[in-house]
Amino acid sequence: MTQKLIDAITEMNEAEALKLANELLDGGTPPLDVLDACRKAMEVIGERFEAGDCFVPELILAGEMMSQISEAIKPHLKQGEADQKLGKVVFGTVEGDIHDIAKDIVAFMLDINGFEVIDLGVDVPPKKFVDTVKATGATIVGLSGFLTLAYDPMKATVEALKEAGLDVKVMIGGGQVDENIREYTGADAYGKDAMAAVALAKQWAG
Amino acid sequence: MQIIGEKINGTRKRVAQAIAERDAGFIKDLAVRQAEAGSAWLDVNAGTRPDLEPDDLVWLIETIQPEVDIPLCLDSANPLALRAAIGAVNKTPMINSISGEPGRLEKILPLAAEHGCQVIALALDEKKIPETSAKRLAIISQVMAATRAAGVPDERVYCDPLAMTLATNIHSAEVAFETMRGIKAAFPGVHLTIGLSNISFGLPARKYVNRTFLTLAIQAGLDSAILDPLDREMRAAILATELVLGRDKHCLNYVRASRAGVFDESK
Repeated sequence: MTQKLIDAITEMNEAEALKLANELLDGGTPPLDVLDACRKAMEVIGERFEAGDCFVPELILAGEMMSQISEAIKPHLKQGEADQKLGKVVFGTVEGDIHDIAKDIVAFMLDINGFEVIDLGVDVPPKKFVDTVKATGATIVGLSGFLTLAYDPMKATVEALKEAGLDVKVMIGGGQVDENIREYTGADAYGKDAMAAVALAKQWAG
Repeated sequence: MQIIGEKINGTRKRVAQAIAERDAGFIKDLAVRQAEAGSAWLDVNAGTRPDLEPDDLVWLIETIQPEVDIPLCLDSANPLALRAAIGAVNKTPMINSISGEPGRLEKILPLAAEHGCQVIALALDEKKIPETSAKRLAIISQVMAATRAAGVPDERVYCDPLAMTLATNIHSAEVAFETMRGIKAAFPGVHLTIGLSNISFGLPARKYVNRTFLTLAIQAGLDSAILDPLDREMRAAILATELVLGRDKHCLNYVRASRAGVFDESK
């Protein structure tokens, strides 16, 4: 039955997936098993995306299915029975840049790989990254930017995090970001795509 | 239809490598082929970090300029790089771009006014890219007030309504068309241009989406576009669209293109 749910999600059958999730929950399947099926489905979608067999609109639809199923699961969860996360990542496109697609994809891939992602959106000033790390206790920060204009704000954000004395690892990515830019900004690492970001986060969450 | 050739852009991996290695041959070849394919301008974007960008942009210009006799479209948001570039060009360039962002208007618009440049005006401001055509038009109105105040004639302004990918918003092309019609109604003297390839980001078989979008955009008033001039099917689509819309007197451009082999599959 959970395999049917996985198939419905990976085949992008939204109505079918929701119906199956509700049937499973009402029929007494443990909510964590349903969540686990969702995660497996998202892994398949993530792999297909990396392989070029699945496309951005499908990632968005998959994300919508996930949030609807999560909502359906909530009333069934017992207190304290929550999803175990690998770590918290504060994520956003830096100040002066408003590109969001690649950022959303990386946030999505981190999320389905078990991280709690606090997505601050686009054009995020350094102070907001600092404040959010303080408020959430996140240990990883991801800075995205497509424009060359983003490099200076990336640098400023890395400096602001250091000045605030926060013990975080910072990864950057997007556009032409490479080792050269990493050095310029003072970030701990750069990632060339979403899977690289996931690998870095897993390494840092250790 | 005026084509701004998009290929010399440092955000493309191979071009970034050519810039880093000062591979003049590669850049010259890209310039010549785009010019031969009928570009009115060549977009030049170094895509490098801010401290390197002025030198890289000037190197690109000095590499391209002796090879082609069309003007350049200086693609940077960095006033220092633009100032250096304007000092290096030998034909009045287009500037790509200004927008409703106060910093860009204050620092870049005076350069365009002083040097008589054409300028691309993006329908976005410091907050973000508005989702509705009404808000995009409001930004363009604000930018037009600034360009007029700076003494830039309307016909030197190329408004870009912004093509956002259909992958994340299925109505983004409609919003772009509405914005174009709104701009043309409010400012009949301006040109309309668009960075084309964004429309299909994240989708498979992108060329069909790009081509169809461009065809419909021409009907909405588009008279310029930033695209790959080496895409022959795209050129063919543009020629056919202009013919169908009655903009190609005596069908001359179409017939000439045919004679020049633009539609020849074997070429």
